[in-house]
Amino acid sequence: MKAIYKNYFRKKNLLNPVLEALNHVPIFENLLSSELKEVAKLTHERTYKKNEFIFKKMAPAEGMYVILSGNVQIVDPDSDITITSLKENDFFGELALLDEEPRSASAIAITQSRLIGFFRTDLLTLMERSPELGNKLLLNLSRVLGERLRRTNQELTKI
Amino acid sequence: MNPIQKIYRLLFFIIIGGLAWNILPFLASIIGMLLFSFLFTTIFLPSVDHLERYLKSRIIGVFLILSSVTIMIILFFGAFISNVGFQIKLFTQKIQNDDFTSNLETVASRLKSSLPEFFGNLVPEGDKLILMAKGSLITLFQQILSLVGSAGGFLFISVMVLLFTIILLIEYHDFKRTLVRFIPNKYLEVGLRMIYNIEQQISKYLRGQILAASSVAILSIIGLFILNQLGANITLIIFIGIIAGLANLIPMVGPFFGMIPAILIALMNNIGDEAALYHQLFGAIPSPFFIFDIILMFIIVQQIDNNFITPIVVGESVGLHPMAVMIVLLIGGTLMGPLGMLFAIPTAGVLKVIISEFIFISKNSHLL
Repeated sequence: MKAIYKNYFRKKNLLNPVLEALNHVPIFENLLSSELKEVAKLTHERTYKKNEFIFKKMAPAEGMYVILSGNVQIVDPDSDITITSLKENDFFGELALLDEEPRSASAIAITQSRLIGFFRTDLLTLMERSPELGNKLLLNLSRVLGERLRRTNQELTKI
Repeated sequence: MNPIQKIYRLLFFIIIGGLAWNILPFLASIIGMLLFSFLFTTIFLPSVDHLERYLKSRIIGVFLILSSVTIMIILFFGAFISNVGFQIKLFTQKIQNDDFTSNLETVASRLKSSLPEFFGNLVPEGDKLILMAKGSLITLFQQILSLVGSAGGFLFISVMVLLFTIILLIEYHDFKRTLVRFIPNKYLEVGLRMIYNIEQQISKYLRGQILAASSVAILSIIGLFILNQLGANITLIIFIGIIAGLANLIPMVGPFFGMIPAILIALMNNIGDEAALYHQLFGAIPSPFFIFDIILMFIIVQQIDNNFITPIVVGESVGLHPMAVMIVLLIGGTLMGPLGMLFAIPTAGVLKVIISEFIFISKNSHLL
């Protein structure tokens, strides 16, 4: 019964591109349709021109971005190395949701891109308004970061 | 930027500034209403957000909260007006009583004898005192009548504030998102942090002030109750306590306004009571009609509030130096009277956040 209810509402959500994009992000995994809508209400949709910086290295970090459309590159301006190239439904900058350290790399829009921003202030508001949902997000976030740490460790072992 | 551009920009700001200066008086009342609506929105926002989760409807949550608050305010004012009316009626009956004249004469002569000669000459004779009392009563009634006359305007403002508050509460998060849309990409993250810090500053300050005001109200009621046990015969203690709590919202001068109703009611109720007239504080200090007892009680309440309650519940919510607080209060009072004093501290707190963020932006502009 719950699955039917969930699927019914999930299908409805897919009509909304923001909800659909959030649905693909592991941080927003296992959220009920109503919870995902609550998160979506707090996000900010932004459009970036080609070659526009989304953030620069060492800039104050406030949150993460999910790519709705377009392409983004994460680069290290000091060594001029492209760390990664990201496309639709990819996300970046999630570490800023937890700590207040400056950005460790720059993000630049390679094509005109539409992004969804979810910021630490929004997460804090959510944790105050709806602690249950806030906890779910924190757990997902730790899972994502844990997985990334494990992968880094494996790569280090290979070296 | 070249010098011509600079001149054009300067001219643009001068023209905009001039227009704003001329339009501002017409918009002042609307801005005031919006400020109050924003204040109420900040107070009720957490409860509305909380209720929305359970009711699954924001509109019903807003309606439930605002209607219960409105009913409470109407009940309070209704009870307050009927009780004050009854108090005035009793006092009028007392004045018409023959004993009242002789009582007043006793008060005047006692005051004269207890004061040094220089001050004694300042106390009018009994008949003059009656004229003065009657004169002040007439003024009081006139003021009440003028208040009733302006009730229409007050009602209009209240309804407008209520409507603005309803809209703001329902649409708050959408308004915020719309506001964020205007922030250029470059300043998005800093802008969001600034908005969040301003929200935190205001809500922390308000929450602290409401808690401090409630505790002052409760402590005042307890204090007045104790004084009544000692024979002070003060009526309307709950209303006096609430007024003292509300007056406490205005820092520094508010507490003094808070004690005025208590002293007035003690005077009205005890005039003609021999025991009250010759009452002594701690059996040593003459305190006619318990006036000094009331002042002492309010000072004790203030001390408890300033030293124990406010530091805990308000803490360093605004983080302003006491000297800055005083200057800000003076500026607020000079510009807008008591209302200005009420808004002075949170406005200064918000300005502090904005200035510190602007300093941060100017120092780190190469990173944005």
